[in-house]
Amino acid sequence: MGTIHLFRKPQRSFFGKLLQEFGLVAADRRSWKILLFGAINLTCTGFLLMWCSSTNSIALTAYTYLTIFDLFSLMTCLISYWVMMRKPSPVYSFGFERLEVLAVFASTVLAQLGALFILKESVERFLEQPEIHTGRLLVGTFVALSFNLFTMLSIRNKPFAYVSEAASTSWLQEHVADLSRSVCGIIPGLSSVFLPRMNPFVLIDLAGAFALCITYMLIEINNYFAVDTASAIAIALMTFGTMYPMSVYSGKVLLQTTPPHVIGQLDKLLREVSTLDGVLEVRNEHFWTLGFGSLAGSVHVRIRRDANEQMVLAHVTNRLYTLVSTLTVQIFKDDWIRPSLPSGPVAANVLNFSDHHIIPMPPLKGIDESNPVTSTPTKPSSPPPEFSFNTPGKNVNPVILLNTQTRPYGLGLNHGHIPYNSVVNQGLGVPGIGATQGFRTGFTNIPSRYGTNNRIGQPRP
Amino acid sequence: MEEKYGGDVLAGPGGGGGGGGRLGPVDAPSARFTKYIVLLCFTKFLKAVGLFESYDLLKAVHIVQFIFILKLGTAFLMVLFQKPFSSGKSITRHQWIKIFKHAVAGCIISLLWFFGLTLCGPLRTLLLFEHSDIVVISLLSVLFTGSGGGPAKTRGAAFFIIAVICLLLFDNDDLMAKMAEHPEGHHDSALTHMLYTAIAFLGVADHKSKVESWFSLVMPFTTVIFLIMILDFYVDAICSVKIEVNKCARYGSFTIFVSALLFGNFWTHPITDQLRAMNRAAHQESTEHVLSGGVVVSAIFFILSANILSSPSKRGQKGTLIGYSPEGTPLYNFMGDAFQHSSQSIPRFIKESLKQILEENDSRQIFYFLCLNLLFTFVELFYGVLTNSLGLISDGFHMLFDCSALVMGLFAALMSRWKATRIFSYGYGRIEILSGFINGLFLMVIAFFVFMESVARLIDPPELDTHMLTPVSVGGLIVNLIGICAFSHAHNHTHGASQGSCHSSDHSHSHHMHSHSDHGHGHSHGSAGGGMNANMRGVFLHVLADTLGSVGVIVSTILIEQFGWFIADPLCSLFIAVLIFLSVVPLIKDACQVLLLRLPPEYEKELHLALEKIQKIEGLISYRDPHFWRHSASIVAGTIHIQVTSDVLEQRIVQQVTGILKDAGVNNLTIQVEKEAYFQHMSGLSTGFHDVLAMTKQMESMKYYKDGTYIM
Repeated sequence: MGTIHLFRKPQRSFFGKLLQEFGLVAADRRSWKILLFGAINLTCTGFLLMWCSSTNSIALTAYTYLTIFDLFSLMTCLISYWVMMRKPSPVYSFGFERLEVLAVFASTVLAQLGALFILKESVERFLEQPEIHTGRLLVGTFVALSFNLFTMLSIRNKPFAYVSEAASTSWLQEHVADLSRSVCGIIPGLSSVFLPRMNPFVLIDLAGAFALCITYMLIEINNYFAVDTASAIAIALMTFGTMYPMSVYSGKVLLQTTPPHVIGQLDKLLREVSTLDGVLEVRNEHFWTLGFGSLAGSVHVRIRRDANEQMVLAHVTNRLYTLVSTLTVQIFKDDWIRPSLPSGPVAANVLNFSDHHIIPMPPLKGIDESNPVTSTPTKPSSPPPEFSFNTPGKNVNPVILLNTQTRPYGLGLNHGHIPYNSVVNQGLGVPGIGATQGFRTGFTNIPSRYGTNNRIGQPRP
Repeated sequence: MEEKYGGDVLAGPGGGGGGGGRLGPVDAPSARFTKYIVLLCFTKFLKAVGLFESYDLLKAVHIVQFIFILKLGTAFLMVLFQKPFSSGKSITRHQWIKIFKHAVAGCIISLLWFFGLTLCGPLRTLLLFEHSDIVVISLLSVLFTGSGGGPAKTRGAAFFIIAVICLLLFDNDDLMAKMAEHPEGHHDSALTHMLYTAIAFLGVADHKSKVESWFSLVMPFTTVIFLIMILDFYVDAICSVKIEVNKCARYGSFTIFVSALLFGNFWTHPITDQLRAMNRAAHQESTEHVLSGGVVVSAIFFILSANILSSPSKRGQKGTLIGYSPEGTPLYNFMGDAFQHSSQSIPRFIKESLKQILEENDSRQIFYFLCLNLLFTFVELFYGVLTNSLGLISDGFHMLFDCSALVMGLFAALMSRWKATRIFSYGYGRIEILSGFINGLFLMVIAFFVFMESVARLIDPPELDTHMLTPVSVGGLIVNLIGICAFSHAHNHTHGASQGSCHSSDHSHSHHMHSHSDHGHGHSHGSAGGGMNANMRGVFLHVLADTLGSVGVIVSTILIEQFGWFIADPLCSLFIAVLIFLSVVPLIKDACQVLLLRLPPEYEKELHLALEKIQKIEGLISYRDPHFWRHSASIVAGTIHIQVTSDVLEQRIVQQVTGILKDAGVNNLTIQVEKEAYFQHMSGLSTGFHDVLAMTKQMESMKYYKDGTYIM
């Protein structure tokens, strides 16, 4: 089993490299406990496998696989410690958080494959039922049960704890919840014990031990050897039931899907983004979970040709940043090249622009003065047919906006989003002096708290 | 306290015991129903008596005569009570036809019922037959509609099935000694009883009509008619009006099963002789169906399942929250289910999915090979059953087990072509990689088990007879060789395609500026045709492993037969296990790399070059967070943040960077172009101190760059 796990590591693990990493993890004091448990687990599994072959009981074998699964979960725990220590490398640019997810996925899938093998074996056993010796059956059951419970309860296994919380409930959990609800209906005092969501691993350990006890009893009393096969099937089905939701959850993370529970929030945020001034549409939105919990995403935002890219970018990022930690936003405009063809109105606009430019610009922005000169001629020069029915000053707008982009940032700061938008709207609707006045009034209204912040921020560039 | 808060505090479903704050459908006080429940229970008890008695009667009277007399008597009494002809509306012709159909069906059912009674005895008949409609309906809805209503109902259905299985398999009904005297020779379980029913039904044997005097049977017939038909009918009708149907079903079935169990034990006992005295037909004490452990267990399960299935489903419905009532309790709408399920008919679904499967090369190949494999498996199974060879049957199951990997590959190949959805925003292509990974794990598990087995056998080599092995393994080998031919063809093909695409990308590197669309097209086409398809690789490896297995079996058989080397078998399997393991490692490694979002190794060099080239773009200060990863066989996604000086046009930068990265093979790209202004905006907008700090750091670095550029 150990060898199988070694190769699940991502990079070609030459043993030396592996040992080095292992030493890194083993240096941590927390991982000693895990290593200790792993060693106990190995011996325990060895004994159990021996007893399995001596009793010839497939139900006990199925139960032993749960112990082996425990070993995997311990390894997952170690991996999560390792992941915490590692920084993203240039090749694995997102970091190794996903390794945790992959380990959880692999161990749940392996448990299910083991259950599949049990199912196959038990079908073969139904054809020809061998004799079961009950000698070590009960001993094995209790050794495995106590060890499993001990491991589950004493080691804080972060990835599995997260997955078992986040994944949908297994059918075993649902049935137990249903039963315990009816029990609590009779004895309300038990509700604190039964009503919270049961840990699926504890549940399956208990249920498997219960099935094995029944098997033992029936074989002792009546020599019903078929019960052994039946309870093996039951344990295998329970394993499926327990592991399936978890592997679905972690598999969905691996598949880079949007987790369903954040879709509502995301929709809300995207709606907000699409109502931002200048934003025409939001598309190609990809949001997915990086590891357990942290969301990554990319989105393309199409904006109006006269909107200020950096401002929209900042706002979009600001909105989405609360939810999506690794975010990339691409701003794009249609037809941004086309305006460069006709050159007639350019001159007028530039003139116009320079007029306005002098008024609001503080001398501090000397560097930026060159920007609009190089960038604007392409933009406002086009008399775009689709906008022609709009306000006559439309063509002039970009100039104003370019000015606003760097300087009057304090406005947005002061009033939060809504006043900021309104100011920009104003600027769009009434170009020229009206806009600058808007800025001015806004500027005078700066509350002191943000104002200081702003002033600190401003001289820096 | 309870009353004080009853009005406005919501009591939890378990917590709020009494008072007015209880949620859910309102229960009427149960005391009012007590008399009806008692009446119902008594009637059911009597019905059980009636059935036991009719079993005794059936020993004396032929079944057809029995049913005739029973129905005649019932009809006579019913007509007297109900007066269907003289009162009410007259019956139309259409209704007559319906009545006729109903009568025929009812006749057949009661014939079967009483025939079952003669064969299985009253206890088992009662257990199987006396379920109320509501139980049967909810059982069927759980079994066939899937949305039966919560885990409780599923549990009920499982109990029902377990009960039936117990009755069929674990119920060694009559003690063999007693059974020996049965006229038809003997069947040892209820299962054979059932089979016998089916076979012997057509010629209903009249071996039992040994009636001495019909007169002596009048009394028992009257009681049977009264108890089974009349009383039960009326009391059921009354109770289902007065009490809720599910309560009625619950109490009724409980009583009838318990009383059936009691009678099953005590019917031949002296105590009940008073009851039986009515039936003076001699009971020969020859064949009595006795109580067995299986019957008791199944009776318990039947009671449980009837109890669960008849209980009203509390949680099953998924309601949508509409709003809140004036008191503050949530209001739900339980309409949903009927509208959401627009299920296609099954044949149409199969046809559609077949069409989808056959559309593309990969899935078609997997499908054909799956069919071939299944065919072989079933031939093997059939032959195994025919010749009663356990080895063949178990090998058949083994093949079936292997087919599961193929089925998964097929599903993955099918799903990978689904359209992108909200949740799967890049499309389903990555499923193929995940399926390849699972297949790899599967093979590893197989290799592990083979390894363990062969080590165990190496220590203690068992004797095995080889005469059956050769033909089977040769057959398997042929099937798998066909598979390998088909899949390796696909394998090579995809390799060729990917090489082609690489070549084309190299080619267009030189003049990437003016062949954008063309190149993009060519590239996407090339990689859609192949690239790395982990799914197909997994399936191919699986088939390869099977082939190796067959070869190993053949080789070891030859060695054993020729030289008597029994050690050859474990050695062969050891070798095979190692081979499988080694062949799987690259697949797992590749799939892991993709799943961990590694920089795609085959594009590594190009991407490095591209990033260098990006850095040389005019007006660009730096870039950060370059992420490039392979999403699926056809999608290589990338995101990058680029900082530019404030005097360049963002869109131009975007265009240039897109061009460079597209040439490097990234086809799903998001570029964030940041100017100095962006960081100012952000530092203003983000109220979090932490973010501000990060941003200002970024800005400082920018400043540094800027200074550098400006100095130059």
